[in-house]
Amino acid sequence: MSTTAEIAPRGLSRRRMRVDGWRWAGRIFLVFMLLYTAVPMIWMLITSIKSGFAAMQFPPQWWPDEPTLASYEKLLDPQNSVGQDFLRFFWNSLFVSTVTTILSVIVAVPAAYAFSRFSFPGRNFLFFAVLLRNMFPAVIFLVPLFILMRLLGLMNTHGSLILTYLTFGLPLAIWLLKGFYDNIPVQLEQAARIDGATRFQAFILIVMPLSTPGIIATAIYSFIGAWNEYIYAYTFLTKNDQLTLPVGIQRFFSENTTDFPGLMAASFMMSVPVVVLFLVLQRYFVRALTEGAVKH
Amino acid sequence: MAHVVLKDLVKTYGSFKAVNDVSLTVNDGEFVALVGPSGCGKTTTLNLVAGLIPITSGDIVIGDRVVNDLDPKDRDIAMVFQNYALYPQKSVYKNLAFPLQMRKLPRDEIDKKVKEAARVLDMTHLLERKPRELSGGQQQRVALGRALVRDPAVFLMDEPLSNLDAKLRVQMRSEIKRFHQDLKATIIYVTHDQLEAVTMADKMAVMNGGYLQQYDSPAQVFAHPVNMFVASFIGSPAMSLIPLQASTANGNSVLTGAEGWSFELSPRNAQKVANATTKKVVLGARHSTIKLHNSAVPGAIPAKAYTVEPTGDVTFVQAFLSGAIVNVSVPPNIAVAPDEQIWLEFDQERMHLFDGETEMALKAN
Repeated sequence: MSTTAEIAPRGLSRRRMRVDGWRWAGRIFLVFMLLYTAVPMIWMLITSIKSGFAAMQFPPQWWPDEPTLASYEKLLDPQNSVGQDFLRFFWNSLFVSTVTTILSVIVAVPAAYAFSRFSFPGRNFLFFAVLLRNMFPAVIFLVPLFILMRLLGLMNTHGSLILTYLTFGLPLAIWLLKGFYDNIPVQLEQAARIDGATRFQAFILIVMPLSTPGIIATAIYSFIGAWNEYIYAYTFLTKNDQLTLPVGIQRFFSENTTDFPGLMAASFMMSVPVVVLFLVLQRYFVRALTEGAVKH
Repeated sequence: MAHVVLKDLVKTYGSFKAVNDVSLTVNDGEFVALVGPSGCGKTTTLNLVAGLIPITSGDIVIGDRVVNDLDPKDRDIAMVFQNYALYPQKSVYKNLAFPLQMRKLPRDEIDKKVKEAARVLDMTHLLERKPRELSGGQQQRVALGRALVRDPAVFLMDEPLSNLDAKLRVQMRSEIKRFHQDLKATIIYVTHDQLEAVTMADKMAVMNGGYLQQYDSPAQVFAHPVNMFVASFIGSPAMSLIPLQASTANGNSVLTGAEGWSFELSPRNAQKVANATTKKVVLGARHSTIKLHNSAVPGAIPAKAYTVEPTGDVTFVQAFLSGAIVNVSVPPNIAVAPDEQIWLEFDQERMHLFDGETEMALKAN
């Protein structure tokens, strides 16, 4: 009797210690991850407000003696050639990414809905075939797609990039959205159809609003994919006035000296749309819209 | 309101027949329950009537129209789903207004009808809430409201009570029954709970394996089940079905159990057994029609009590006879212990006899 009484608290405290140990290990890991991701971003920001000379100093200035926004002014000034280029690249990137996003939502939404709701011959085969592209590294398709684009007469057009990014982004978009549609009870559409809606109206009025979080997640995913892509943009586009940001920023590496503050300022501005997009739309990721729709 | 006619309705999925030649007529203002075990085709039948799935063959008539090829929206029906299927992004008000909006009613008329429905169902204070902010019973009521706001020809209900807890289910059961009485609505109601069907419906259609087994008033189905399936499905606890052997001794018709006991049949029952295609006869007896004796009585069959379940009102005693479980109800003041020797006496007037091969009820002529 007494032995069990003694053992019990000891076992309990040992277990609590182990949980605490793991929890601390987890915290330390998270702090490390935070530093790992945040420090380069902070360093990018700090460098972007240095002068060209201060950026090259060693030991480095942790905080610039004379912070300046000169690099930003230069990049955003449509009067000088650097600013003209940067704004054009920015516009090109925005155009390509936005069109890619819109098209991928337009294609992925009905495709995912069809995969989720209808049974048709070859459904499973098609569904997995959609993923085939993603089983290979993107670079493998560089040469075939290059030849294809030349045959189609799309070289040096933004259309070539939009098409390519669609083939990369769509499979995951379809898979992601299908998961969303699978979770929307089919009875909601049936109820709508009995209540007087056509099948299409039921989709537009009932299902679409419920899948908004999924559509937004899909849109962000394909936007970021297109926004950051480098190798295809580098290969398919050669004319200066068509380049997208990732390729354009490369121009800051000139032969003799690299304008590091300018490079960092451009990189920072390139990351702004992505961050803003996330901050504005992240609540949609979290919002559990279907909660309360049906009793599980 | 309108009547509904199903004629030789068939639905197949590949080689699987989900609904087999189901024919029945639901009269104007009638409450019909489709009842049967899981997978018996009752929900499929309802979805065929709703037009949510296409029929393979047969006819569906609602009112005076054949609606086989009509969209659900054109059939003038309303449906209450098992999971309620409330539109989660819409408030209660908008849930109720949706069917009216889809029919392009003027806004002030929609407002009037929604408020009237809310008043009838006593949920005016809930109109601005979202479905997820409601309790199960309230959600149920909104689903009902969305069906009745439009004043459809037929109400279809797919197990509307099965997601509620036991107490609420009994309460909503009487509310739906009241709703039917007040509105004189034509209702087709799917349930796997035979008690719901018996208590609420004017007529019940018992289904099994895609076939309609029996279509009659609950009292008729209860008193005269057409076959062993219906007999065992309707009534709780289930009717005891005891396989026996028919023979003739001294010119009298006799049924013999596997343990060797036998009893003599009344002339009417003897005539039924004579009509059987086989010597194998199944005796069906409801718990209340069997008398339990603590000592040997002429005509009573010896058995051993297996379990004893007091419920307060009555005590159920189970025993094995001929390999089948026999359920007997006795007043709670009669004490029976498990493994105690008992004698069971069957009521010749109220017993059921089934053909051991065809499983159909035996008739006297």
